[in-house]
Amino acid sequence: MSEAKKEQTTTHKIGIYLWIWGLLFVLSFFSYMVDWYQFQGLLRWSLILIFMFLKAGLIMAFFMHLFWERYALVNVLLWPMTAIACFVGLMVAEGKYTLFSRIFYFFVGGQ
Amino acid sequence: MSEDYNDNKTIQAQSSETISGEGGAGVTSDTDYVRPAEVADQDLYHGHSFITKWVFCQDAKVIGVQYFLLATFTGIIGLILSWLMRLQLGFPELAGFMTAEHYYQFVTMHGMIMVVYFLTALFLGGFGNYLIPLMVGARDMVFPYVNMVSFWMFFVAVGVLLASFFVPGGPTGSGWTLYPPQAILEGTPGSGMGIILMCVSLILFVAGFTMGGLNYLITVLQARTRGMTLMRMPLTVWGIFTATVLAMLAFPALLVSALMMSLDKLLGTSFFMPTILKAGEVLEYGGGTPILFQHLFWFFGHPEVYIVALPAFGIISDLISVHSRKNIFGYRMMVWAIVIIGALSFFVWAHHMYVSGMHPWFGFFFATTTLIIAVPTAMKVYNWILTLWRGNIRLNVVMLWCLGFIVTFVNGGITGIFLGNVTVDVPLSDTYFVIAHFHMVMGIAPLMVIMGAVYHWFPLVTGRMLSEKLGKWHFWFTFLGAYSIYFPMHYLGFIGVPRRYFEMYDSPYVTSAVGMNEFISTAAFIVGAAQFILIYNIVTSLKIGKPAGKNPWQANSLEWLTPTVPPEHGNWGDKLPVVHRWPYDFSVPGAKEDFITQTTPPSEVAETEVEKT
Amino acid sequence: MSEPKIEGYKFKPGYSGMAADTASDQTMFKGVHWGKAMMWIFLLSDTFIFSCFLISYMKGRASTPVEWPNPSEVFALNAFGVPVPLLLIAIMTFVLITSSGTMALAVKYGYERNRKMCGWLILATALGGLTFVGMQAFEWSKLIHEGVRPWENPFGAPQFGSFFFMITGFHGTHVSIGVIFLFIYAYKTFAGHYDEGKRGWFTSMKGDYVEIEILGLYWHFVDLVWVFIFAFFYLW
Repeated sequence: MSEAKKEQTTTHKIGIYLWIWGLLFVLSFFSYMVDWYQFQGLLRWSLILIFMFLKAGLIMAFFMHLFWERYALVNVLLWPMTAIACFVGLMVAEGKYTLFSRIFYFFVGGQ
Repeated sequence: MSEDYNDNKTIQAQSSETISGEGGAGVTSDTDYVRPAEVADQDLYHGHSFITKWVFCQDAKVIGVQYFLLATFTGIIGLILSWLMRLQLGFPELAGFMTAEHYYQFVTMHGMIMVVYFLTALFLGGFGNYLIPLMVGARDMVFPYVNMVSFWMFFVAVGVLLASFFVPGGPTGSGWTLYPPQAILEGTPGSGMGIILMCVSLILFVAGFTMGGLNYLITVLQARTRGMTLMRMPLTVWGIFTATVLAMLAFPALLVSALMMSLDKLLGTSFFMPTILKAGEVLEYGGGTPILFQHLFWFFGHPEVYIVALPAFGIISDLISVHSRKNIFGYRMMVWAIVIIGALSFFVWAHHMYVSGMHPWFGFFFATTTLIIAVPTAMKVYNWILTLWRGNIRLNVVMLWCLGFIVTFVNGGITGIFLGNVTVDVPLSDTYFVIAHFHMVMGIAPLMVIMGAVYHWFPLVTGRMLSEKLGKWHFWFTFLGAYSIYFPMHYLGFIGVPRRYFEMYDSPYVTSAVGMNEFISTAAFIVGAAQFILIYNIVTSLKIGKPAGKNPWQANSLEWLTPTVPPEHGNWGDKLPVVHRWPYDFSVPGAKEDFITQTTPPSEVAETEVEKT
Repeated sequence: MSEPKIEGYKFKPGYSGMAADTASDQTMFKGVHWGKAMMWIFLLSDTFIFSCFLISYMKGRASTPVEWPNPSEVFALNAFGVPVPLLLIAIMTFVLITSSGTMALAVKYGYERNRKMCGWLILATALGGLTFVGMQAFEWSKLIHEGVRPWENPFGAPQFGSFFFMITGFHGTHVSIGVIFLFIYAYKTFAGHYDEGKRGWFTSMKGDYVEIEILGLYWHFVDLVWVFIFAFFYLW
């Protein structure tokens, strides 16, 4: 492994890490509350997703230092997620279609 | 070129004076300025014993050769399997020893070996390891130790794969796509140990390949030499690099599907297994979705096609440019085409599944993306032809393979347009037309590139030339033979002969297909045998081949410019090369010779009409 | 981390900086250590693995006509005689986030070359990870005790058990590998290998504090995956 030329790294103040740490606890607590109060339907799903992405974003941005990295690295890491998004979207449709055809052919049509 | 680069030059220029005398007007000492190295010289482990030098070796060049030899060995097994299949199809009376089970097993193993263990390993592991560090001007891969482990994981994966020939029940016979439910149900040959070993072998391959792939990517991104920008890299490196990116993102899907299938087999989970009635009895399985496997498999499988094709695109671009003494036409377009093909390849996978019973609307989406991906691919073909246009073509063996590739690739590409459209695909799917299509486009075409690349780089690896005469025999046998095999198959497909059938029994196809099959099989035996000309050529040329000397093809790229030929561990001796231009400055007007190497500083060629790259 | 000085190269911010970095020679990720770049690309690949797992889970769950068990009830734990939904999972999340925080601080002290502090924080992270794996083992044995198996479960769709054991098992494997490396790195930190640049056991390459950040990236990734598993498996 090569040694990079002496980095003049200024490390970040400890406060920022403690802040993020605290925020993560709060967000986890909120997402736990979603279950505690038994929200249902669209509200539940959107709250779960919002808290999930906020937590994921905080971990990536600050704990993994992505916020301070240069755009070259950040973009290389985030663009491939479009393939995942496409895969997810299509599989949502596919799952619904499979369920539809199962119900249609095995229960409705099978009569 | 970035603006920074120019900024630095102007800053430097203020403190420099014009060199008088040599060079033309405007040549200053800063003309040749290249920014100093960012990263300290690489710390390498030098092997001392036989084992650390040749077996567990950390030198990317040795690892590349190891990959090449092992992949070729596996490929020869695949070739023998294809002979056996053709024997059954053409002359069933001679193949009395083969049962239908054997046939399915051979089909499966032939497919898997050729796609994953031969072509992928050969292009990325073989050519990638050997060429990337040399072409970008690095001393070695960035993590030599991990690179070594990568090869030995591949070795174990091949071992596990071949072991499945010797377990009870034999290797899996479910077709190379391994579709469940039949892959793990009794009645399919090798549904016991065979399929488990196949999954294990694939998981090992993916793990090993990930280690290698990280090396290739970081070497290209972070370990280039001074002056080597991304847009000055040979297209070979671009092709292998993009293919590796695809591999890193596509192999996970294969790993996941192999893992889930082995759980279905071993633990009795039902990820992919729907409720199944067998001989009137309901099996234990139930509730899974077989189509999920197909999606996962092809989410890997389609990028895999480009993992094989992109390095071939890259290598062929370099070969054509060098052997027609002309710069590659539209270099930037070629790079962007590679990148765009790579990105799009993640959005086309379900065109392999038009008849699978997936969501009916998907056909529209995937037919559209599939036809879009044909655009950058066609651009590349035009650029290859325009590179040849009015070039100073040297019609040697390498060039013959290049021409063979272009023709074959166009052929396979056009049938691909047929199969990409849902309505045309539905009657053609699972016929010999499909077999002909993909053997042309990702079997024969990349193989021609491999052959061309072997003739081109053999002098670099061994210091000796291959025999041109034997090479021409080899080429013509292979080229004409391959067309004798695959052209008739298109016809077989049109008359509806289904693929993967052991024999035709009393079907109405018999009359016209039988003679055709005999012809195809005869051609296949000859083409297969012709490959041993290459092996003979390599073995004899190692001893009696003409010594190549330095840079026998008068190429520009860095791999030919090492202080010793063949290059030694560390590649560059004391000083790393400094790059001043792209590798395609051929036949520049005003230059003394018809090539300007990448390391030639601008001040030496100030009189010529060389373009700034 | 923040931008290093590179002789003869001027950093630009934002997208023009991205274009300049990409177009420049030698490196694309300026000032990023080889090992760190490798870990990022590996994590990208690993993201695809976990995405494929979760997508399979989504597809499996969406297409089964059988009732999916309510995770809130399945994973409830009796505390003082009252069933509290997801109690264990909440504690596990808490532990993993705590260990992620200590790891972030370890990286910080590592770069400040504070050997003692760095070592203790890595050790704390390792212990957090170990606690997590222990609680996961407890959770597994509880479910197995209740009759949940990879191939069946008494609460509804059999795929529930399959996906649960596979995905949490794969995540748990990641945590366990991480814990092993954390202990190794804690030892190496205390022994001062990163201060002296002592050569490694296998690769014979020199050690450096950047390795802590590389391990940290892996550890945070494990935490990140847990965020997604928590949302999709336990809450959804």
